[in-house]
Amino acid sequence: MKAVNALPAAVRPPGRVAAPSFADVVAEDLDAVYRYLVYLTGDRVAAEDLAAETFERAFRSWRRFDPRRGAPRTWLCRIAHSAAVDWFRAEARRQRREENYSRDELQLEESVFAEGLSPELDRALHRLTPAEREVVALRVLLELDGPSAARVLGISGTACSTRLSRALKRLEEEMSDVRN
Amino acid sequence: MSATDGNEMDGYEALVSELRAHPPVAPERLRQRVLEGAPAARAPRSRRRKLVLVVAPLAVVLAVGAALVHGFVNSGSNRAALLAPNARIPGGLAHSKYGAANTTPEAAVAHSLPVPQSKQLSTASKTYSLSNVAAGSVYDSLGTSRQAVTIPRHRLVHATASLQVGVKSSDLSAKTNEASQIVGSFGGYAQSVRYQATHQGDGEALLSLRVPVQNAQAAIAKLGGLGTLLSQQVSTQDLQAKVTHQTSAIGSLRRAITVYEAALRSPSLSATDRASLQIKLNNARRAQARLRHARAGTLASAATAGISLLLTTNNHAVVPVHHGSTRIGRLLGSAAHFLALEGIIVLYALIVLAPVLLIGGLVWWALRERRRREERLLASA
Repeated sequence: MKAVNALPAAVRPPGRVAAPSFADVVAEDLDAVYRYLVYLTGDRVAAEDLAAETFERAFRSWRRFDPRRGAPRTWLCRIAHSAAVDWFRAEARRQRREENYSRDELQLEESVFAEGLSPELDRALHRLTPAEREVVALRVLLELDGPSAARVLGISGTACSTRLSRALKRLEEEMSDVRN
Repeated sequence: MSATDGNEMDGYEALVSELRAHPPVAPERLRQRVLEGAPAARAPRSRRRKLVLVVAPLAVVLAVGAALVHGFVNSGSNRAALLAPNARIPGGLAHSKYGAANTTPEAAVAHSLPVPQSKQLSTASKTYSLSNVAAGSVYDSLGTSRQAVTIPRHRLVHATASLQVGVKSSDLSAKTNEASQIVGSFGGYAQSVRYQATHQGDGEALLSLRVPVQNAQAAIAKLGGLGTLLSQQVSTQDLQAKVTHQTSAIGSLRRAITVYEAALRSPSLSATDRASLQIKLNNARRAQARLRHARAGTLASAATAGISLLLTTNNHAVVPVHHGSTRIGRLLGSAAHFLALEGIIVLYALIVLAPVLLIGGLVWWALRERRRREERLLASA
């Protein structure tokens, strides 16, 4: 008679989720975090620095990460969001200090968001606010579901949906403007 | 992504497709940077922090716990001891000076085990002290502290007393002389007198007095009446048992000596036995002489009481601190006192260790700066 309690070795007890190694998370989610930060900041160099900072912070608090509470990508995006907010604050202070700030002009000379993107879309993306680009990045590029994206943004699911709709609508409008 | 999640993107399929078709790709250098920036050596820091987070609250809990235990142990009902029948203040002293509203007596018994009358042969020592405190003391209403300390007259006791009496500046000299006269009138004498005063008469006089024990109580009462009694301590030690024991030992030795002498008179005693007995006889005689001398000393110490009298123009006595009348009040007060003591110890340790900690911190900061400078240099290269 087959023992009832003899479970297959591959079956884990319910509620226990195997934590991935940090290297696995880096390999899998670095691109996603980088994309998110590029869209959020509109600055590849800053995105690179912030991505590095995000993973440094993530490594420091890696022991506290609980895979049952959410996917590593969502967790990393929340850290990246926090790092980006700090960066925006610092940038705002720097802009106030420097009167002849000409970052916008410099960035428009080359493709900021991705290679191969049409110039109209690139420019239209640049005209969006960081908050709009952020939601586009999370929902479209990273393909996070609504609740996860809302958790990263710190807003409700409805607000997240609304923000995405408006962002996409505005993106299309800006593209039309650029074409005309 | 669930099916409903895509509703917001309806109508923007082309846009979404283009965005997804050209995602930004993290450069390889970023990948290297992230992987290199996560050294395994950083892991123990978390453990250290955890240890600190556990140890620090534990230390605080232990300190507070120890203070509470100390407070609980020391907050016993010492009021019962204070009001014990033996803790009586000389009536003359109390009535003469404590009628005033601002001089309410408070008695504190340092060693207050009452000696039962049945234990006539036991040796006991007792100490009674009294200090004036602010008006409103609980003992005033009880009236117990107004009774007199009894120095036994029919037993051999060694009594010592210490009095602090406040006098007016103009009276210090006169009161010092009066104290000597009082002692003389009771058959005693002033062993030593130390007088210190300014031109204005402010100062103090410390008198070491000896009075026959049977007159000690009356002398203390009269000396306390020289001015405002600020504090008083009376201690007695029963010597009856000691003298009885010494007398009994002397009697035993006397009987032994008689036996040895009778034995030595016997003509049939061998030379060896005679020598041995002679030695024992001599030892017994020496021991008897020693005991007689000791008994004479005991009797002498029981003959007179030593009184230390401090006459001062500064009418403030050192008053023992009491933290409230209830047990909880005393417990909290004692715990707070203990905590303060712990704080002092910690502060002292910090002061002592501060230079070491400062140097350590500076070294740590310098090393960190050096490492950061190297990192910046490598990043810019």
